[in-house]
Amino acid sequence: MVNPIMIFILFLGTAFLFALFDKIHRKFSFAILQLVLLINTFIAGQWLYKFVFTSQTPVMIFTAGFKPPFSINLRMGLEEAFILFAVNFVGLLSALYLSKSFKHSKVYPLVLYLMMIMGVNGIVMTRDLFNLFVFLEISSISTYALIALKENEQRLASGFKYMIASGLASVFFLLGTIFIYHITGTLNIDQIITHKSFVITSLGFLSVFTLMMSLIIELKPFPANGWALDVYQTTTSGVVSIIAVANSAGVFYAFYKLLPLIPHNQLLFIAGIGIVSFLFSNLIAIKQTDSRRLLGYSSIAQIGLLITVTALTRYLHVKSSTSLFIISSIFLSNFIAKAGLFWIAGIIKKTHIKEWAILRFKPGLLIIFGVFIFALVGIPPFPNFWAKWDLIRFLALSKLHIWIILILLGSLLEAFYLFRWFGSIVRSEQNEEQLLQPAYKTVPIIIFFLLLIIISIGIPIHIYQFDILPLLPIVGLLILSIFDFLPSKLKAIISMIIIAGYTLYIYPVLSGVSLVFAFIFLAGSFIQLIATMSRKGTDKGFFPLLVGMILSMGSLLVARSSLEFFFAWELMTITAYMLVLRGRKAEKPALLFILFSLAGAYLLLSGLSYAHVINFSLVGLGTIPISAHMLPITAFILIVVAFLIKVGAVGFHIWLPGSYAEAEDDTTSFMSSILSKTGIFGMLILLLFLLKMNMHHSALFTSMLGWIGIFTVFFGSLMAIFQEDVKYLLAYSSMGQLGYIVLCMAAMSHLGWVSGLYLAVNHLFFKAMILLAVAGVISRVGTRNMYEMGGLIKKMPYSFISVLIGIIALSGVPPLSGFGAKWLIYTALLEKGWYFRAGLSFFASAIAFLYLFRLIHTIFLGQPKPQHQNVKEASPFFLIPQFLFIFAIMAISMFPNLIIKPLSTFINPYFASTIQWQGNTLYSSLGYWNGNLVMYVTMGVFMLLLIWLIISIGRVQKVKQFNIVFAAERPFKPTTTHFAHNFYAHYKRALGTFVRPVTTGFWNGVGEWISSAAGSIRQIYSGNGQTYVLYILLYFIVLYFIMGGK
Amino acid sequence: MRYTLILGFILFMIGLWAMLTRKNLFKIVIGFSIIDTGVHLIIVTIGYLSGKTAPILDKLVTPANAVQKVVDPIPSALVLTAIVIGLAVTALMLSYVVRLYKRRKSLSIEDYRELKW
Amino acid sequence: MDTPLVLKILYSLISLAVITIWGLSLGGIVRKIYARVQGRIGPPFWQPFIDIIKTYGKRTAVTHGIMFFLGPVFRIAGGIGTYLFIPAILGSTIFSNFSVSGDVLLVMYFIFFGQLGMALGAGESGHPYSAIGVARGLAQMTAFEVPFALSIIAIVIQYHTLNITTIVLAQQGSILNWTLFTNPLATIAALIALLGMNMHNPFSVVLAPQEIPIGPPTEFHGSYLALMQTNRGIFNAAKLVLYMNLFFGGATNIFALIIKTFSIYMISVVVGVSFPRFRTDQSIKFFLFVPTLIALLAIIILVL
Repeated sequence: MVNPIMIFILFLGTAFLFALFDKIHRKFSFAILQLVLLINTFIAGQWLYKFVFTSQTPVMIFTAGFKPPFSINLRMGLEEAFILFAVNFVGLLSALYLSKSFKHSKVYPLVLYLMMIMGVNGIVMTRDLFNLFVFLEISSISTYALIALKENEQRLASGFKYMIASGLASVFFLLGTIFIYHITGTLNIDQIITHKSFVITSLGFLSVFTLMMSLIIELKPFPANGWALDVYQTTTSGVVSIIAVANSAGVFYAFYKLLPLIPHNQLLFIAGIGIVSFLFSNLIAIKQTDSRRLLGYSSIAQIGLLITVTALTRYLHVKSSTSLFIISSIFLSNFIAKAGLFWIAGIIKKTHIKEWAILRFKPGLLIIFGVFIFALVGIPPFPNFWAKWDLIRFLALSKLHIWIILILLGSLLEAFYLFRWFGSIVRSEQNEEQLLQPAYKTVPIIIFFLLLIIISIGIPIHIYQFDILPLLPIVGLLILSIFDFLPSKLKAIISMIIIAGYTLYIYPVLSGVSLVFAFIFLAGSFIQLIATMSRKGTDKGFFPLLVGMILSMGSLLVARSSLEFFFAWELMTITAYMLVLRGRKAEKPALLFILFSLAGAYLLLSGLSYAHVINFSLVGLGTIPISAHMLPITAFILIVVAFLIKVGAVGFHIWLPGSYAEAEDDTTSFMSSILSKTGIFGMLILLLFLLKMNMHHSALFTSMLGWIGIFTVFFGSLMAIFQEDVKYLLAYSSMGQLGYIVLCMAAMSHLGWVSGLYLAVNHLFFKAMILLAVAGVISRVGTRNMYEMGGLIKKMPYSFISVLIGIIALSGVPPLSGFGAKWLIYTALLEKGWYFRAGLSFFASAIAFLYLFRLIHTIFLGQPKPQHQNVKEASPFFLIPQFLFIFAIMAISMFPNLIIKPLSTFINPYFASTIQWQGNTLYSSLGYWNGNLVMYVTMGVFMLLLIWLIISIGRVQKVKQFNIVFAAERPFKPTTTHFAHNFYAHYKRALGTFVRPVTTGFWNGVGEWISSAAGSIRQIYSGNGQTYVLYILLYFIVLYFIMGGK
Repeated sequence: MRYTLILGFILFMIGLWAMLTRKNLFKIVIGFSIIDTGVHLIIVTIGYLSGKTAPILDKLVTPANAVQKVVDPIPSALVLTAIVIGLAVTALMLSYVVRLYKRRKSLSIEDYRELKW
Repeated sequence: MDTPLVLKILYSLISLAVITIWGLSLGGIVRKIYARVQGRIGPPFWQPFIDIIKTYGKRTAVTHGIMFFLGPVFRIAGGIGTYLFIPAILGSTIFSNFSVSGDVLLVMYFIFFGQLGMALGAGESGHPYSAIGVARGLAQMTAFEVPFALSIIAIVIQYHTLNITTIVLAQQGSILNWTLFTNPLATIAALIALLGMNMHNPFSVVLAPQEIPIGPPTEFHGSYLALMQTNRGIFNAAKLVLYMNLFFGGATNIFALIIKTFSIYMISVVVGVSFPRFRTDQSIKFFLFVPTLIALLAIIILVL
């Protein structure tokens, strides 16, 4: 093992000789610089390896032949090795990134660069307080100087601000150090910590406070951080990535080292400092349009989070291995992603975030950019995800509710501006521009990207002992990514094979209700994949995401623990988001989608954390003994709201119409007919838990859930009838249908659940049919406005048939399967005694007729438009799945027992059955229904009459479209004769008050309020360096009194 | 001893006042320098024990009686380092000021506020 | 299911024939009444039969497409089906129809079958008045469906069953056992809803002869129209039979059926001749207000 002191020797030795090396050639000196960093990375790496994989214990390195306090000593432990490795490695890569700047600069920047990295190394290793000060200053001074590398006015100005602010902070550090020395008589950190009882004296407190605060100031806490933001904004990319990650890492570690000095009862204040920084930086960033300043805000926020988490885990006495894991995961996510993003910024060379749109033409770089952003937000499988999972669990266990709220709120704000940025790049309409991607700049980015991926896959496998099952969605995504160059049709087939294989693989685990959902998620997807074959060309990116999404839904079914469930849930969310974002105008809807989905995911996360069981999943449910306290009421509410968001329940529905409508047409069908059911599946698990335990007020909860369900049905249907855009209409219709399922599940009875699952399956059939048919129509006529269509029945008869069957099945008109759903629902509701809900659902189902008729009439009936003269029937790839679904609908309409019997059997373990069969007749406690006979009677009557009409009418003559009895007028043109626009004007006049966008207004209000809050808060950053100094001073004084200084 | 400590704090305050109120970049740097000086004074004062001599081994001060005779040597050592560092920082600040002045011909901190929010 | 299928079909045909004749005559009688109220002599009560025979006899026939052709078939199949799923006369094998197929929920939803098919057929004609008529009709339908559904819920609460025969049985014995007397609020609400269903004034804006010449069926003629005219009789009678069963104690023989349905129908006729027409939005608001409140009250009273 190399003695860590070698690190300093290498740095200093070469730095002194640099002028000499440089005389030979710049290439030589630069090579030396890289060699030094490489060797140091290696040394640190070697130690890290020892600490992680062998039972190496931390080592103290003594200098000058004395023991402390008479000499300075260094420490090399797991934490140090970890940070040193990261810092030297990023130093190495950043040097590579800066190679061109270094080539044209004088020799001094090279020396300064080495000194800066050395300073950080020293900060990390030293155990001497004054030595720490020296190293802090070494790295700061070299940083100040490096900021002016490639000098310009703004850099100079920001550098100056940085110096006076940071200079003041280090003066305080010095003061603190000397007072501590005065009191304890030693500068050795470990000895000071063992004597830390001195802190209770007022001078002791003051000195520790001064010391810690100056470190915290160096970590750029809100609001005393304006100078840091300026530096982030102006400094050249290679340097700023070092400042933002390596320097911060060093200072953070110094803070970590000295944190034990803070008395236990003050730790929450420190955590508070961090959380304020986290929240407000993320809040203000919302208003930011300068890309680097935005990244700066994000950096500061992440450091704030680190401070909070460090202080909180210490406060809670979390096991050190766990707290280390949490802290290092958050640290690493930010470290890698932020460095990478700043590097990318250097390639883009654009300041405004909108101008980053040129990334769109560099798919490789765009993917990396996306991955870095996902890593920051904490999407699985990136480290932040795991950290968040563990962290929230601990906070929940310790009942630190407010901290959970604040952390998740801040994360949501961060997700908002990062995803907004990502979406605006993907969906920008800017033209391509030349973008230089020199290898010396891209290689560091790619290396960090790969590093992130390796770590992200390593964590679940090594730390959480995941086997392959929960990781299969990622595997599927990767497989399809490899084949992404193939034509769409081939990829669709590969996807189908993968899904079929996956289904076979998980089949043994499935039973009961999970079979039903497996049918919906996997078989439903399998069939709809046929429609995706209509995609032209290679259509890159679509299939990997789709397969990822489908398999994550499968993962939900077979999850064995809460973690696996949540992992699958988030994977599904992010893949769905990416799919929505592929829609041409999907920028805003996709953002809403991911925001609401993430909010839901965070609610789920906190709910699962409050739960007293660690296996919230269908598989896990079987292993849990009955207990009254598995899910406290808080957990129950949080989880149920999460699932309500997913199904788009009224109040949380505003993400739904836009994202369904603006997603690509075949994607919409997946989302509406399949993805939305995941919320139902989650709710089912939750209700099963509810069944297993006797919670107080559980009847009240399910009753409320029922009301939410029925209001979702009502408002969804009502809003659907006023849409001109066919996809919006169908989106609202989906919302309504999902509301029925929620209503049924909430009934908590045998019949209720049977009808819920029946409807879930039926909804898959008819909604997929209608949406695919509509997708086919849109693909031919090129518009989504229904009034611009008309009379398409003659051009697209098969699509018409499918929509016809679809709307009959949806509306519940006998003899098709929809009536089965209605019969079951009403019987269940009346049996339950939910009379008003039953009444309202009668109303809603009548309203459904309105939009369904409008759908079929304005598209397929009425006057054909001249521009659609040559429209052809939709592609067979659209039609095949539709007809498969028609077949399914016909089958269950003729023989309802096919589906109701198995469903009833699946529900039997949970509720006593209240239905029975006599032949084909289904008896409930209230009534009866023989679907088979209804079908025969209807068909019989219909056929007889048809024959009679054909006989009686004789020969009929086909007439042209304008051959109508038009009250002695001549129809002018199809556009004015087709009654389609604003079809239900009278309905709006009567009931328009119910569809005023109250919810949208509310959420818009929330958005505006947040945005204007951000706008006013950021005014504190006046740009004046003196003001920033004042803030630092005030920050000291105010916090001193807040923390109880005397 | 007390007086030097108070003096140190007074210097500190003067420097701080200068940093917070003077608009001229040079005066801000000078303010910083004064703060530094004040802090150095404080450090030395803390190490001083009245009636004792400098921590240098000579005829009067032998290794055997050093502990009774000399003041605490560490703060003195520290202050030397601190002075060097302070010097470096001040020098760097001044060079920044010079560069800024060369570019914009202004020494007022109010003129360097484009970066904000 | 004791009766053999062939016999069952035969019985149903008889039952159907009876109701068709009665339904059409009822229509004729109403026209007579209207005429008398308005001071005219009016056509004879058998006029609907003459009309149907005449329209069947029309030689020329045009079609706008397959849905247009099927529309009337849907319409009358809906009417006949609705009737066939209702047990018309209590205890009668002939008039029990195919009521074993399902309960009152089936009947309520089967009513839509014909309306939907009709709307589709009318839609394909491409005539704007048809579409306007349908838009109005559907809108009005959603509104009167509310009090109607609520009063059926009230009945279900009252009798603990969805089975029509059981509901009728429960009303036997005395006139005071009729829902009309045991649950007057639900009955009133349902009767108001019936006004809408029958599309007489004040809820006739769907057909509005002066504005959008007879609305949805504008383009239909010849045999199409004949089918629809036949349906008008059957469907009308079917609805009346349903009301009779649910609210007026049902019928144990054909005469009771004739008297009761006639009386029920007279209610909407009387209202129809005495009121002007509502606009669509007005009728929506009306149905969702007065009768809905009455029906809700009926449920609340029962639950309490």
